[in-house]
Amino acid sequence: MAVPLLETRNLSIRFGGLVAVSRVDLSLAAGETLCIIGPNGAGKSTLFNLISGIYRQSSGTVRLDGRDITGWPAHRIAAAGIARTFQSSRLFGDLTLVDNVVIGMHCRTRTGVIDALLRPRRARAEFEAAAERAGELLRLVSPGLYERRHTLAGTLPQADRRRLEIARALASDPKIIMLDEPSSGMDDRDTDALIEDIRLTMAERPGLAYIIIEHDMRLVAALPERVVVIDYGEKIAEGHFSEVRLMPRVQEAYLGQKAAHA
Amino acid sequence: MMAEPPRIALSARHTSAADVAVVAAAELGGALLLGLFLLADDSRFIVALLVLLGAGFAALQIRPAIEERIVAAFRNARFTALGLGSAIVLAYPFAMQGSSYALHLLVVAQLYAVLALALNFQLGSANIPNFATGASYGIGAYTSALLAIDFGVSFWLTLPIAAVVATAFGFLLGFPSMRTRETYLALVTIAFGIVVHQLLNNFDWTGGPNGLVGIPAPTILGHSFAAPIELFGARLPSQANFYYLAAALVALAIVSARRLHDSRVGLAWNALRAHELAARCQGINVVWYKMLAFAVDAFLAAFAGSVYAAYVSYISPDNFTFLVSVTIMTMVIVGGMDNTLGVILGAFLLTLLPEKLRIFADYRLLFVSVVVILFLILRPQGLFPQRPRSYGGR
Repeated sequence: MAVPLLETRNLSIRFGGLVAVSRVDLSLAAGETLCIIGPNGAGKSTLFNLISGIYRQSSGTVRLDGRDITGWPAHRIAAAGIARTFQSSRLFGDLTLVDNVVIGMHCRTRTGVIDALLRPRRARAEFEAAAERAGELLRLVSPGLYERRHTLAGTLPQADRRRLEIARALASDPKIIMLDEPSSGMDDRDTDALIEDIRLTMAERPGLAYIIIEHDMRLVAALPERVVVIDYGEKIAEGHFSEVRLMPRVQEAYLGQKAAHA
Repeated sequence: MMAEPPRIALSARHTSAADVAVVAAAELGGALLLGLFLLADDSRFIVALLVLLGAGFAALQIRPAIEERIVAAFRNARFTALGLGSAIVLAYPFAMQGSSYALHLLVVAQLYAVLALALNFQLGSANIPNFATGASYGIGAYTSALLAIDFGVSFWLTLPIAAVVATAFGFLLGFPSMRTRETYLALVTIAFGIVVHQLLNNFDWTGGPNGLVGIPAPTILGHSFAAPIELFGARLPSQANFYYLAAALVALAIVSARRLHDSRVGLAWNALRAHELAARCQGINVVWYKMLAFAVDAFLAAFAGSVYAAYVSYISPDNFTFLVSVTIMTMVIVGGMDNTLGVILGAFLLTLLPEKLRIFADYRLLFVSVVVILFLILRPQGLFPQRPRSYGGR
């Protein structure tokens, strides 16, 4: 079998006595979509923070394309090809939409202080080209965002903030995009529209792999091929959504023991 | 090859007569106001000018469309604005009626403008509270002065050397600062400023509290900067030499500020100002960019320090105290974070006001704190707030 795009082995983190993520093994192939579900506080976001280098693991390894990236700082992991969004969107609110997406291209552009000061022509050309591409990306994710590309990101409604975050993540030309609860804080209509937009971007870039943390079961049923269930920091089930939802352990975790046996 | 520029760019090429008129009115009006202010003796007249200025800003506050119109005019009539602006700066000393005091104020105000622009890279772009700009200014001044006095190095050579030395110190300060943030970072920079002041005060080779005396004036093509300028039958006081030198430095600072702001670097600084964690996840090496901000700040501040040392020919540690750093910070806050024009205006206002209104001179610190508090309440974004970047053929 070929080397998986992303592979975690025995990934764990402890905060004092609390084991937030415990010996999680994940494996993701190029172009695949994986959904991570589990009750609140199960350790899903912590797992994202481990993979994206915001937290340092207590034990275990993370490999990207066969290369060991365990313990790398967040900016190097981003440059290596793992982009992410956050559960509560973390945009650069006092900058325009274009600025936000151009910042997403940081690790794919080269201008440094010396270039900016002494080779303005080259720096400017790179900057304008990045802005040009940012416009295209915004149009791809949502034409509405493109129309508003010169307004400040802080003025966007919730659903558009999510879309902008996705555009910003795409801007770094990643191999993997991790979406942390893309539908949180949105009503059904917005969620449906978002699912549609995510589908479109997936079709546009078939090689790109996704890991999605989600609570909204409609989104889970609609998008991913494979589901991993996390509870108390441990992986308790893995498989297709239609199979996983029937497993007693999963129902227990979600609905409580009594309800599951009722 | 670049792709076709976006629509905005096409409209930007078109310069109308109205744009030229707006630009000329704004530049000549500003120059006239500044000139009247510099040459005024009567404090009632000065207060009247300030009221006029205040009314102007009130109008901008109530009707933002006015500001938009002026900004648009400057963008459309770029070359007119640049040409007329340069002409005004070059001709300005001739309109000062030979007053060496007015020229002196302009030199000091311009040096402070450079310092404020230097700090703006940190405070404005990246929101790093650095209270050590005064120290970098001092390191630049002392390096330059010591090289000139002890080794007879030409002023023009000491300029870059002093900048490099101060930049090295900037990195030195930036490195430990990265372990702290916000308030604690501010404390580290305050401590650095005090350490530099104490060292300058206590070393023998820096002249101790007496400082350094007899720093030679620069010469260019045999013309000493200590001598008056005689041109076209007009005679300008010797301060005019330094006026032009300081103006060149301000121009350099403006060009640097613009180039960095509209680049990947400026965006990275803005990103870590808005959200540090999100910035890291976009691949931005936060530690490196913060240290770069320290270095750029120190580099420009040292230039200002070298010119200051050569200008006054006498420096002592008390020229580079904590108070100087606070004043520079106030200029950035009052003028407008991350807005080049705003920061320069803030520097001019806070340099000239205490000088012209002597009543304030005794209460300088009180004056500065009242101004900061008023601004944080009334107009927290500063006189000219940050503007969104515009892309396409500017």
